Amino acid sequence: MNSSFLMVLAVFFPILCGLGILLAPQFQKRELLIKAEAVGLAVTAALAVLSLLGGDMQITFLRFGNDLKVYFRLDGLGRLFVVIISIVWVLSGVFSFEYMKHEKEEKRYFGFYLMVYGVLLALSYAGNLITFYVFYELMTLGSLPLVLHTKTREAIMAGLKYLFYSLFGAYLVLLGVYFLNRYAITLDFTPGGALDMARVSGHEGMLLVIVFLMILGFGVKAGMFPLHAWLPTAHPVAPAPASAVLSGLIVKAGILGVIRVVYYVVGAGFVRGTWVQTAWLVLALITVFMGSMLAYREKLMKKRLAYSTVSQASYIMLGLAFLQPEAMTGSLLHVVFHAFIKSCLFLSAGAIIYKTGKTNVDEMTGIGKQMPVTIWCYTFASLALIGIPPASGFISKWYLASGALASEMRVFSWLGPAVLLLSALLTAGYLLPLTIKGFLPGADFDYKSLTSAEPNRTMLVPLAVLAFLAVALGVFPNPLTSYIGQIIGTVL
Amino acid sequence: MRVNVFLLAVIVFFPMLGAAASYLTGRKDKALRDRVVGIVSLAEFAFLVILLLGVGRQKGVMDIPGVCGMGLHFATDGFRAVYGTIAAFMWMMTSVFSAEYFAHYRNRNRYYLFWLVTLGATEGIFFSADLYTTFVFFEVMSFASYVWVAQDEKEASLRAASTYLAVAVIGGLVMLMGLFLLYHQAGTLVIDDLYEACRGKNVYPAAACMFFGFAAKAGAFPLHIWLPKAHPVAPAPASALLSGILTKTGIFGILVISCKILLHDAKWGTFVLVIGTLTMVAGAVLALFSVDLKRTLACSSVSQIGFILVGVGMQGLLAEENALAVRGSLLHMVNHSLFKLVLFMVAGVVFMNVHKLNLNEIRGFGRHKPLLMAVYLMGALGIGGIPLFSGYVSKTLIHESIVEYTEAVENGALAPFVLGAGDMKIIEWLFLISGGLTVAYMCKLFFAVFVEKNEDPAVQKTYDSLNGHYMNPASTVALVVPAALFPLFGLLPHFTMDKIADMGQGFLGLAEETHSVAYFSFANLKGGLTSIAIGVLIYVLVVRTWMLKKEGGGSVYVNRWPQLLDIEELIYRPVLLTILPAVCGFFCMLLDRSVDFLAKILPLAGSVEAGFFDTISDSVIVFLRRTVYKDSPQPHELEEGNGLTHVLGRLVNKVVALLNLTFWRSHPNKKDYEHRFALAYESFKENTGIIGRSLSYGLILFCIGLCGTLIYLLVGLFR
Repeated sequence: MNSSFLMVLAVFFPILCGLGILLAPQFQKRELLIKAEAVGLAVTAALAVLSLLGGDMQITFLRFGNDLKVYFRLDGLGRLFVVIISIVWVLSGVFSFEYMKHEKEEKRYFGFYLMVYGVLLALSYAGNLITFYVFYELMTLGSLPLVLHTKTREAIMAGLKYLFYSLFGAYLVLLGVYFLNRYAITLDFTPGGALDMARVSGHEGMLLVIVFLMILGFGVKAGMFPLHAWLPTAHPVAPAPASAVLSGLIVKAGILGVIRVVYYVVGAGFVRGTWVQTAWLVLALITVFMGSMLAYREKLMKKRLAYSTVSQASYIMLGLAFLQPEAMTGSLLHVVFHAFIKSCLFLSAGAIIYKTGKTNVDEMTGIGKQMPVTIWCYTFASLALIGIPPASGFISKWYLASGALASEMRVFSWLGPAVLLLSALLTAGYLLPLTIKGFLPGADFDYKSLTSAEPNRTMLVPLAVLAFLAVALGVFPNPLTSYIGQIIGTVL
Repeated sequence: MRVNVFLLAVIVFFPMLGAAASYLTGRKDKALRDRVVGIVSLAEFAFLVILLLGVGRQKGVMDIPGVCGMGLHFATDGFRAVYGTIAAFMWMMTSVFSAEYFAHYRNRNRYYLFWLVTLGATEGIFFSADLYTTFVFFEVMSFASYVWVAQDEKEASLRAASTYLAVAVIGGLVMLMGLFLLYHQAGTLVIDDLYEACRGKNVYPAAACMFFGFAAKAGAFPLHIWLPKAHPVAPAPASALLSGILTKTGIFGILVISCKILLHDAKWGTFVLVIGTLTMVAGAVLALFSVDLKRTLACSSVSQIGFILVGVGMQGLLAEENALAVRGSLLHMVNHSLFKLVLFMVAGVVFMNVHKLNLNEIRGFGRHKPLLMAVYLMGALGIGGIPLFSGYVSKTLIHESIVEYTEAVENGALAPFVLGAGDMKIIEWLFLISGGLTVAYMCKLFFAVFVEKNEDPAVQKTYDSLNGHYMNPASTVALVVPAALFPLFGLLPHFTMDKIADMGQGFLGLAEETHSVAYFSFANLKGGLTSIAIGVLIYVLVVRTWMLKKEGGGSVYVNRWPQLLDIEELIYRPVLLTILPAVCGFFCMLLDRSVDFLAKILPLAGSVEAGFFDTISDSVIVFLRRTVYKDSPQPHELEEGNGLTHVLGRLVNKVVALLNLTFWRSHPNKKDYEHRFALAYESFKENTGIIGRSLSYGLILFCIGLCGTLIYLLVGLFR
């Protein structure tokens, strides 16, 4: 089979399957639904993996005139994202087989869940900005039902907030697309950028504004200040596996967008040394600190994790903003690590909610005695997020900091690492108390009334795999690092 | 060489595997678990002895490339082998003692798991060949040892443990900042290459950050706060290791900075010397005031770390002539590790039997327990720097280095840097006074525990009844063996301590063979004796009078230290836990809410604006409605149907009439089709009317139109 056809198949198979699940009434029966969902996820993941095996390939399937086309092309960055998305999506899916038992309307959830998988794959495959934009909007719309799943007033308001923020961001991007279409040689993703300097000359100032707006626009999804507010609203109301993929992956779609625009359309050289870079750095730094500070003060576990995502996603933004190979290595590493870590954390929060109904961190004293495996997974993921060696977060922070110092950008070169470390301290402050209270409930803890609340294998295996990845990738990061090095070699 | 490499890997990772093994066996069988732990620590010690004897002076390296990004690098030399062996020795002895001490504890499995992980991590630090590896193992050690402090989960323990963790995390992060800076400037973190790589560069910021991290672990002032908190609550074997070895990993790091990066740097030496002096004095004063057995020992550790830092500082100041300082600080490290091992295990014996640590409560416990008293005395005399015991040797060396430097400055052989000869005299006296304080607080403990009787005769009676069976034979061995080392070292310094110093001094940048020091010459004895005299005076004049309050017939030890003067409660906790989060959190919340706020304000403004246009548009519409869009007058009621329906209906009616006459004669059809068609037409008209008036219909038409326009445009553009 033509391997480029596999990309199309990997995108549309889950979308069609999801539609089928949504429309066909047979799937009201839970057993059948779960089976169909499992098959759908497995086949899609298999297709996605198969699509990676071929060389560089492309396929166009819609064309308006010569340069407006919807087409897929697989490059190094896309491959990386396909792998991350597939791992997290499938694991969270497996987790939700059990978790969704205590939610209603599973059919709708699973239908959309499968569809968004396809859309995210399409985002990774997207070969130009038009394609990216189309699927970016689809992603927002497809993931909206996941946010307002419970249909409580709170959930609906959160869903609307998510929608409005996302649409606003997307329109900023769309605006940019119009301009870039005029000033770029092509909207196809070209490593190193494809601006037509002849056309640009004289309009640099305006184009910089446009680039900044696009960064802001994609920054909505990536939770960058000032448009981060949807994250802490949407996450607590969504079902835990949905929060896991929202935080782990959908946020990363915004990051992917920024990378595509800055490094593949505009080119890093155009932005370097301008006010856009400075503003971008400042916003990222503010977000890093603000996110972790607010997470530290938040008591509701899922909201705390959402704020943490705000902060961590801006680690990635910060690394990208330095426009420097090492910092970008750190960023891409953090994309991978944070996807695994944060989904692991959200899934453990989900396991706690599912088994005990507790949502507030203060209620969770002794939880480690009730569900040791879950809290161990949580702890490993937490240590990785704080950046305690040898767990993974340390490696990405190392690259981020060395990149920042190597950038030689006066204040930022040392302020960047300092804020990263300050935020790491706060991260320790908001993640570790659960572990500590969970495993060390105090001498007067009532061990007699303790009942085991460990979830079953369906939930534990995804958690354990993610926690394992969070640590193991820190111990053996070099294959990943050198792969990322190759990607970066082409764009910087 | 191959064996050497393999041995290093085993030394670092074997305890980690042992940890897993002990945890898994512990879930099934506690006795077997204790045996596994014993075997693992014994085997670890055996490996290190092999390393020490076989290849002690040789250099060996081992790289595990790729792990943790930059790879792990290990090396061995004399210093590392000596310290690794001491660590393993301490672990082995405490593991022997732990079996009895922990007999009635909960969660022992957890304890042993982290206990062995920490052993591996500590060996990893001492054998690390680059600072990256050091940092990796340093963090593992910090987090794993946290569990020790919190082991009994009492409120005080958890609080102390959180202090410990906070200091470890903050220290670790600041150290990491230092590593970032250093790596950026030097381009390498390999310890042996750093001196060349850093020469001529301003690495002081990096060094200061790293020093902060290592000093936090070592317990240097003002980051010593975790020691007096953590030690009293941690189990005694854990305190022994925390104090004896974990603080030395901090010193190891400081040595790397002082001897591998800023070798013979007077500026740096002065800085370390000042910090060391403050630590030395502060720790000793705190120890004298304390009325808690383990707290005293903890503060004493702070003070002794200060002595070591003074030695490290003198190395920098004396530059090439620093043999005394190098050997002194090295030997004091070794001595202090062993002293604290013994003394904390003695405290452990007390606690194991009576579960109390306050001096007034344990008073008289040691009466008529000669073995315990002898063991305590070995440690106390050693740490007090009494001649013929090991502590005397190391303290004398450091003292003589101060004297040597002062003389050199006075003679003009060395140019003074910041601290002149007069300042050095002050530091020398502070050194002697701190030594005196050491003697004083060790006397205080000795008289309280082993000589005086308890105020309550009943309690004294129960204490006396324990005589002969207060510890089992295994624990006895664990206490006696290390205690016997002190007089051995002290009596035969040239055969024991000099050998250790010879092995270790290479790491501290001292290459040449040094002529042996006459430790017991009068000049050298003078310092030690002065110190002891000060100590006795302080004990008699201060402790016996001011700190021992007469009450009724008896007397009680009172803590004269003002409660308010607790640097942690007074400054660190309020600032870090309340003030900073409140201030920063407030600003962050403002930022967080700002957009939501805008989002609420803007629609409001929008609605005002829209309301304005609304009123206008309303009147416009009303106006239009009355003029141009005026409804035409309602037409009169039409007949049902239209022409077509009438024609069709009549036609069908005729056909039906014809059929009725012919084929359907038996069942004639009597429906009026003209009327029926008219009705169908009416309902169709009504429906289309409803659809046509709806908004959606309009939008659909609009969209179709838009699509048409777009297609036209695109076709036109790209044809």
